Amino acid sequence: MLQAIGLSKYYASIPAVENVTFDLKAGEILGCVGPNGSGKSTTVKMISGLLEPSRGRVLFRGEDIHRDLVGFRKNLGYVPEEPNLYPYLSGREYLEMVGILRGIPQSRLGKKVDSLLALFSLYPSRHSAMASYSKGMRQRVLLLAALLDDPEVLILDEPLSGLDVSSALVLKSLIRALGQQGKAIFYCSHVLEVVERVCSHLLILRQGTVLAAGPTGEIQRRIGHASLEGTFHHLVEDVDPDKVTQEILDVVREA
Amino acid sequence: MTKRTSLLSKWEAYLREPFPMLVGLSMNRIFHGSNSSEEEDVNLSMGILLTLLAIPGGFVSIFLFDKYGSFLQWLRGQTNFDPIAAALPDEYFFIVLSMVVTGGVAVWWWDSIFPDRRDFANLVHLPLPASKIFLANSVAVVISTGVCAIDVNAASSILFPVVVGSSQTQLSFVVRFAGVHALVVVLASIFSFFAVFATAGLLMLLLPYHLFRRISRYVRTLIATMLLATLATSFAVPRMIEGLPRSLHSPLRFLPSAWFLGFGQLLHGTSDGALARLGHVAVAAVASACAVAAATYTLAYRRCFVRLPELADTPTGNLGTRSSSIFRLLDLFIFHTPFQRAGYRFALKTLFRNEVHAVSLGGSFALGAVFASQTLLSALNEKGVSPRPTAAELSIPLILGYCLLLGVRFVFDIPAHVQANWIFRFLLDTNIHEAVALARRIMLCFVMPWLFLAVLPLYIHFWSWTIAFLHIGFITVWFVLLTEVLLVGFRKVPFTCRYPPFRPAAVVAVITCVLGYFAFTAMTSELESDALASPIAGGFCFVISLAVWYAAYRIRRRALAGENHLMFEATPAADFEFLHLSDSG
Repeated sequence: MLQAIGLSKYYASIPAVENVTFDLKAGEILGCVGPNGSGKSTTVKMISGLLEPSRGRVLFRGEDIHRDLVGFRKNLGYVPEEPNLYPYLSGREYLEMVGILRGIPQSRLGKKVDSLLALFSLYPSRHSAMASYSKGMRQRVLLLAALLDDPEVLILDEPLSGLDVSSALVLKSLIRALGQQGKAIFYCSHVLEVVERVCSHLLILRQGTVLAAGPTGEIQRRIGHASLEGTFHHLVEDVDPDKVTQEILDVVREA
Repeated sequence: MTKRTSLLSKWEAYLREPFPMLVGLSMNRIFHGSNSSEEEDVNLSMGILLTLLAIPGGFVSIFLFDKYGSFLQWLRGQTNFDPIAAALPDEYFFIVLSMVVTGGVAVWWWDSIFPDRRDFANLVHLPLPASKIFLANSVAVVISTGVCAIDVNAASSILFPVVVGSSQTQLSFVVRFAGVHALVVVLASIFSFFAVFATAGLLMLLLPYHLFRRISRYVRTLIATMLLATLATSFAVPRMIEGLPRSLHSPLRFLPSAWFLGFGQLLHGTSDGALARLGHVAVAAVASACAVAAATYTLAYRRCFVRLPELADTPTGNLGTRSSSIFRLLDLFIFHTPFQRAGYRFALKTLFRNEVHAVSLGGSFALGAVFASQTLLSALNEKGVSPRPTAAELSIPLILGYCLLLGVRFVFDIPAHVQANWIFRFLLDTNIHEAVALARRIMLCFVMPWLFLAVLPLYIHFWSWTIAFLHIGFITVWFVLLTEVLLVGFRKVPFTCRYPPFRPAAVVAVITCVLGYFAFTAMTSELESDALASPIAGGFCFVISLAVWYAAYRIRRRALAGENHLMFEATPAADFEFLHLSDSG
């Protein structure tokens, strides 16, 4: 459903992402992991059409997304990394605005918004300005906004950030259920345990390039590690954590 | 009733359409500010803001009744009163006022005119064509400009013509005068707004984005200074306009406010050749400002907004460590404790790296520079350089110092990323009593170096070593005293406390600042002038200084006797309090 072909992005000739290729099919949940500065956010921005790649293409149902960006975004739900919302709008007002801008008929918008707010435990504070919301509440508003129009593709950048335990459990279960319903989900995170449990496929990035891509179990089997953490460390980390720990302790203890 | 209800519901339904909703979002950003933290903004509602903007024009109009009232003219023996000729200086003042207020608003909105990162994050991934967001923002800018221009000039457009026409018997005179006046001041406002807007767009277009962000604060300060200078000279310009026909190369040709005065006179049908020419310039200027603003806005929108994520990912560069040797020197002589050292570094970096703080401080310096240069010019025009400095000549550093010290004290109360103040809450002992010592040292560091680097050499050059050193000593004493007075009750780390709640005393504080200006600059310089002439006056001056210091000391002691711990939240005054009348103690 969503294909990235040789995606590259350069900032003043410095590569941020180079030759990233993957194919996200309907029903698949692709987990994107990598250390800081590996190009995850740039990749997310390019596949959501927020950033034009320097080279390569993003295809949605075989068509370049930049040929019909509006059409692509009609089918896209996006949760950005930072919950940067309008603080002077209430949660309900914000979701209504998103619904209207997405073209959802107003006759069913209000009811849908209220139902979703109630299910995400935001109903009691639906009329409060989002300035007073906690980080977790804002994150839930973003998730609702992404799900509001039942999109075909979901791009989630650290969606669990700030969520409490029960909300996180609901979301993880929801992502799996959405995958089973045939949605294509691109899931970007640093929390390897969640990626391991939720994602059917993996994309491991390092310094802007793809280190490994494929079904989660197959990558783990090939590397020979039972856990994703072990696999990730084997592929990505070139530092010895014990050695670095000892060095930090030495510096901290310095008089 | 039913028709009205149906119209209202139609209007409400229209507002829920995507395009008006986008326009509303853009207008909200313009009025509430951009990229700001919701917790630390002074969020004036649109109504309050519009009321505040409308007040000056209304007040000034009412004060002019004395000049135009027919009875008062009769009492003064003015029988051949030409209202249009008499209104020329006032008309000029209203033009300047409208340009300054609207220009000031545009400078304040500098960052929020263009869509920001928040808009990008919330709107761009939605199924909306980029052209729709662009168009909605353009409409919001035009509506905001129109609302601002009409609001700023509404009161004067009604009251001023009524005041001017109070001695006239024909209503048509008032109506015609009102129409011309309203058109001229609204056009002046529009010109001012779009000239600032065009400057921002042009800079955004020509400079790399990070450089644009860096120089914005300086450009905004410069524009604010120019606006203040225009306001400060508004009483002198009409006199120069009278001599305009005789002087073909008058610098007035380059003054936008004079163009609009010429335009007004052209419409009144009383314009001479020179003013008429300026009037034609006004029309061309409005058209050019709007055209340049529209063009630069379109191109800058493409260049900056569409590429926002790329700009976000671009490295911001090294902030540098060039000033570390200066800090070491200051640590050695001025900032002795760890609290003071850390506080000074934090304060200085906050002042120069945060745009709101830098612009506010720049504005207060600009205000000082305008007042000081005006005083200097009038002092030199009167007598030239006299053997012993006059009170006006002595007051120059006092004016600059007063505005700068007041400005620094004011910006201390503007929070900088108040969510980050947890580090101070976490690390500092709230019983620490060094807040005043830190604030005092920072404030004096802003004014004292200039006394020795600029004031001392100038006074030595124009007068003598003795006068220069006496003057420096005198100013130092008064700067220290002013600092003490400004820091009464202060117990914060600068910039780490939320905005103090609006107090009824705020109006009193503003009036005190204005009166304080005259007391500090005019009265003390008169005292010093007398002290330079006679030792007895010098002794009197010394006694007054001691009295001021003692009063500040006593007030601070009393203020600290109650609560003296470091504060991070300004608590509002209680709506009521128990008087404990039955308590024996």
